[in-house]
Amino acid sequence: MKFTNEQMERYSRNIILNEVGVKGQIKLLESKVLIVGTGGLGAPAALYLAAAGVGTIGLVDADAVDLSNLQRQIIHSTTKVGKPKVASGREAINDLNPDVNVVTYQEWVSSANITDIIKDEDYDFIIDGTDNFPAKFLINDACVLLHKPFSHAGIIKFFGQTMTYVPGQGPCYRCVFLNPPPPNTVPTCKEAGVLGVMGGIIGTVQATEAVKYLLGIGELLTGRLLVFDALEMEFRTVTLASRKNCVVCGENPTLKDLIDYEQRACEL
Amino acid sequence: MRVLIKLFATFREGRFKSEEWELAPGATVAEVLSRLKIKPEEVSIQLVNGKDAALGQVLQDGDVMALFPPVGGG
Repeated sequence: MKFTNEQMERYSRNIILNEVGVKGQIKLLESKVLIVGTGGLGAPAALYLAAAGVGTIGLVDADAVDLSNLQRQIIHSTTKVGKPKVASGREAINDLNPDVNVVTYQEWVSSANITDIIKDEDYDFIIDGTDNFPAKFLINDACVLLHKPFSHAGIIKFFGQTMTYVPGQGPCYRCVFLNPPPPNTVPTCKEAGVLGVMGGIIGTVQATEAVKYLLGIGELLTGRLLVFDALEMEFRTVTLASRKNCVVCGENPTLKDLIDYEQRACEL
Repeated sequence: MRVLIKLFATFREGRFKSEEWELAPGATVAEVLSRLKIKPEEVSIQLVNGKDAALGQVLQDGDVMALFPPVGGG
């Protein structure tokens, strides 16, 4: 693969980094990242990955842009209200960087489609930008079963958390969190609110992890949960261990079929 | 005995960030939760000295107990 003059210019600040260079930039351009949820977390992650020159970006979301999304979902804009989020996301990415091939899936993930979506482009890395526990467990289980690395994240109010799963290199989301909390015990962002920048801070950490994984540089958040409290302006990492008896990634896994947990209607 | 209780994210609301508690010998993780008015099913991670702890775990002098709620928004 050869760069055009325009690409040399566009990616010059990446290429100048020893850890990236021409080789690394080519790797990024040949990489494929799937972003599930084009909301608070997925929006900034998608924009930074597109800007970085990740060659293929998949966007999954069944929803349409709502005015109440724009307080944090910065990939969308006022003129896009009512449009499918994946279409709005594609336009914003194409505007930012026409090098990126955007693949859209206007659907909610479920046990019926997630495997096919991940396999569709044989994505290298998956970003969980969803807003509910059933989807988070589904993404974890699908990624573990398909041996795909992914970044988990969750945000609410002034708080956020994120961890990275790489097959064979530490715990999966289920090792740590076991099962979704019972429905109606945990409020959603719609009910509890979320500071707009929370998705920006945590979603860009997810994008950082994706880029690092694709380039093979640095230390990922494997075996560590990064927790962020914006009110205290405090980041800390909690060390996490794999669970030998984890039903999906443990020594004798029993979970072979994906589960659709009871899902509350909520907005991405 | 003294145990340091650390709360994270929404558990801090109306409670505290970090407090040292004087507990009777034999006090368990479940008793601390009960005093905090946090139901076990509301906890996503409970650690004692950085390790996963069961509800019945008996706390020791100098232990650090940390509680995290589920955070699942996007």
